[in-house]
Amino acid sequence: MRFLPHTDTDRSAMLESMGAASIADLFADIPAELHLERGQLNIADALSEAGIVRKFTKASEKNRNATNTRYFLGGGTYNHFVPAVVDYVISRGEFLTAYTPYQPEIAQGTLQALFEFQTMIARLTGMDVSNASMYEAATATAEAALMARRVSRKKRVVIAGSVNPRYRSVTANYLSRLDGECIEVAMGNDTADFGTDMDRLIASIDDSTACVIVQYPDFYGSVYDLAALRAACDANKCLMVVAFSDVTAFALIESPGAMGADIAVGSGQSLGIPMAFGGPHLGLFTCKQKYLRQMPGRVCGLTRDADGKRGFVLTLSTREQHIRREKATSNICTNQGLMCTAAATYMSLMGDAGLATIAQRSAAALQMLVSRLPDHVSAAAGAHYNENVISFANQSARDRFLNIAQAQDIFAGIALEKIDVHAEPRHLLVSTTEMIEEADINDYLAALEAASE
Amino acid sequence: MTIPANLKYTKDHEWVRIDGDIATFGISDHAQEALGDIVFVELPDIGRELDAGEAYAVVESVKAVSDVYTPVAGEVVEVNDGLEAEPEHVNTDAYGAGWIAKVKISADTASVELMTDDEYTTFLEE
Amino acid sequence: MNNNTSKYSATQGIQHEEALLFEHAHEAPESIHLPGVEGAVPEALQAFMRQQPANIPGLSEPEAVRHFVRLSQWNHGIETGFYPLGSCTMKYNPRVNEQVARLPGLAHIHPDQPEDTVQGALELLYEVQQWLGEISGLPYVTLQPAAGAHGELAGLMMIRACLDARGDTKRRTVLVPDSAHGTNPASAALCGMHTVELKSGADGRIDLAELKAHLNNETAALMMTNPNTAGAFESDIKEICQLVHDAGGLVYGDGANLNALVGVARPGDMGLDCLHINVHKTFATPHGGGGPGAGPVAVNDTLKPYLPVPRIVKDGENYYLESTSDTSIGSILSTLGQSGVYVRANAYISAYGRQSLYKIAEDAVLNANYVLHRLKDVYHVPFEGVCKHECLLTDELQNKHGIKTLDIAKRLIDLGFHPMTVYFPLIVHGAMLIEPTETESRETLDSFCDAMLEIAAQCEAGETDLLHDAPLSPIRRRLDETQAARKPVLVWPQ
Repeated sequence: MRFLPHTDTDRSAMLESMGAASIADLFADIPAELHLERGQLNIADALSEAGIVRKFTKASEKNRNATNTRYFLGGGTYNHFVPAVVDYVISRGEFLTAYTPYQPEIAQGTLQALFEFQTMIARLTGMDVSNASMYEAATATAEAALMARRVSRKKRVVIAGSVNPRYRSVTANYLSRLDGECIEVAMGNDTADFGTDMDRLIASIDDSTACVIVQYPDFYGSVYDLAALRAACDANKCLMVVAFSDVTAFALIESPGAMGADIAVGSGQSLGIPMAFGGPHLGLFTCKQKYLRQMPGRVCGLTRDADGKRGFVLTLSTREQHIRREKATSNICTNQGLMCTAAATYMSLMGDAGLATIAQRSAAALQMLVSRLPDHVSAAAGAHYNENVISFANQSARDRFLNIAQAQDIFAGIALEKIDVHAEPRHLLVSTTEMIEEADINDYLAALEAASE
Repeated sequence: MTIPANLKYTKDHEWVRIDGDIATFGISDHAQEALGDIVFVELPDIGRELDAGEAYAVVESVKAVSDVYTPVAGEVVEVNDGLEAEPEHVNTDAYGAGWIAKVKISADTASVELMTDDEYTTFLEE
Repeated sequence: MNNNTSKYSATQGIQHEEALLFEHAHEAPESIHLPGVEGAVPEALQAFMRQQPANIPGLSEPEAVRHFVRLSQWNHGIETGFYPLGSCTMKYNPRVNEQVARLPGLAHIHPDQPEDTVQGALELLYEVQQWLGEISGLPYVTLQPAAGAHGELAGLMMIRACLDARGDTKRRTVLVPDSAHGTNPASAALCGMHTVELKSGADGRIDLAELKAHLNNETAALMMTNPNTAGAFESDIKEICQLVHDAGGLVYGDGANLNALVGVARPGDMGLDCLHINVHKTFATPHGGGGPGAGPVAVNDTLKPYLPVPRIVKDGENYYLESTSDTSIGSILSTLGQSGVYVRANAYISAYGRQSLYKIAEDAVLNANYVLHRLKDVYHVPFEGVCKHECLLTDELQNKHGIKTLDIAKRLIDLGFHPMTVYFPLIVHGAMLIEPTETESRETLDSFCDAMLEIAAQCEAGETDLLHDAPLSPIRRRLDETQAARKPVLVWPQ
């Protein structure tokens, strides 16, 4: 076996040196009836390296992917451009094969990258501080609700119905075994236009509310003002939690911090991380400085070494499970560390200007598509970033279009009811990034025309 | 390690000084030494009503967390805000600048068992 | 310094100081050339435009590459050297796994594209699902949990759902040995349960009398790690499971230490109901400086109805995602799981295959016992007997010279090794938990043991300054964790 350095001679010599007759001596503490017959598990036969490459290439080739298909799919995962340098940096063995930086003297590379990541994420979201990642956006949203309950010492959580249904269901799931209620405020789906019904949301807040969770831009791509919600939160001493799914938006539109968020959470997958069929992605978690001690997850902080040189360590660890155990702010241990390094590399390659270009083009592509839609379909009105809902007359019209588009190498959108159980099966969630060119939009529109005939 | 004679002590290594109906609390020199460098003290809200033996504050070092229990029942009337910026006072001056909170003692509740300095010294030796 | 020290030292290349990104103070270069539609910002968005720039520093590509390559050179990884962190299973991460995970049909696919366009990906994930069921002896597997602690939460949610379905709504106590990982009680709390700690017996194992004394009609589960965090196999495992079951509870297994058992024995056969598997440990996916991992959970028939959704199902030759179930605990992640991690795990299991998988456990256990044998006369061994994939030592014999576990760990850095896990488990004072893994050669194990013996000799010789000052060789020396925590600076000021 090529990953095992020992020869049988080595094994015998090692066993002999410790006075063991055979390897079985070392397993004698496992009761005999529990021992498996070696080599008899029902798994596939061993493959050579060449065989592995062949097997995986074959599997890969069965999948339509972003190198041969135009993606108008979003809903939490986006096909943004990934520069070669990002993948190179995270392929370096020193980043890739290191453990959590518990020995900071020999992990300064990971730690400085985390510090740079935290700084850039705080700046992009307009928040005071960022942690060093959560798993992904849904669990980050759930953790935000739990944190708001600790900060406010209240238990009622209100979630807008325009938050990604998956973030909502995971959050509700996390809260369902704890005291206190979790209220979902229906909206969007039962209004003429998809979006966030601010009046209804504000009416659902009372003085027992720990936090209100909104998504901005919301699940349907709507961008809207949060000033009235902020005022309502202040009046009820509750926290405003802002979730987001494509963080590139904040290179163009006002950040959650500027909108008054107490906690802002979401996905950082857009920052140089491939879609990868759902993961590994990157959960972002940011908050105001004053709530720092209640923040979940690892954080990296600046300090000095014994010679007075600047260095970095994991800090505030008394919040975490390995010290506070049952009373920890979260049970999270392993996080998405490598994805932080990817995002830091990505952001440093882009800078303000590159990020702004990406955001502008993502929004401009959607605008171009929506402004040229034929009469038999319609999109929701109002300000949108890079997602919107296109409505068809009925399901068969929509599905006919999806099939025609797919035949033209276009994934034209997500059938909304697959994510949003309350949606009608005639809606399509469409999303754009800078990877969409004008020609792709022309082809999309041509497919729409063809489907109407 | 010092154990001032004018204070009372608990088995959880808190000290208390009683002046009339006001009790001032902190953690003993022994406790701060055992915890190591204190990095954060979570203070109670003013106005909070405490039962005797209730956890009212949290003292944190880099790798340990310890609840601090009130030896007497009462209402929190003052907290040591200075510890927010300089928690190290708990290490350097546990009985002075390292005090944590003051409580107005409620008349009708019993306190947890308190020791004199000599009794606490003996308790530590055991 | 002892002259023969140098033979163990990691080669010191040129080490560069490297500024923070924010200190590379020059005007941002011309923006990276990007694709896309060059249209105007939609009018409706104009009212929401960001007023202040974020101040993300933009570097040219050569500057960015050099910055991050220099940072990487301050890190120690498995590819750099020996990394014997106990309970972390820092084994070699095969490079071919990285290659195949980057194939376009696996890396650049969307979780919501039509199922008939991702059959190849689903097939690979389904295979992993089935194999993990076979390896654990618990046939039904969810791939959704993103890491071990997330798996614990999923498992406890299933246990709670199962008990609730039985009408056992008062069972909310989880028994956790005092040697457990901190995630165990934290996960229980998140699941609305509370933990009761079981004191380990004199041999570091679960004490049956202690267990019996705590089992009652409020017991939801026993949460255990086997082999435990002292590196010892719980030989009474069948009796332990029987006792818990007889008391009406279920047995949850923390699979952090599965590397000792893979292909040799199965938690399902031992009587466990549920096990999370740390794919980033046992199945060689890279830790990435803290993550990503994956924490799939394998369960038996009792818990099968409660598995999270979606699950990958095979129907004839087709694979699809089953997203609805009346009894499921629901979803705990926004996608089906960390697919990219499972692609690598599939490649890893494929490389060993049915024929060789057990060799992982055999060589891992051999290596740990070899290290234990070489160090046992010089370092205190708290629990006698063979160990499994990791061995536990303490600093008791070095304490009299004023040397603690931390000093030993830091000195190892100067001798070219990543330290072992220190001060865990909590059941012994000054713990040093060493897990060599199966991918280390005898030569490496010997040089590590030689270094450990040298440190012990330096203690005896009174060369304590050398140990207290360690490490001297890396780009930074001991860091002031107190200052970091007292006055937290988590972002660079604008």
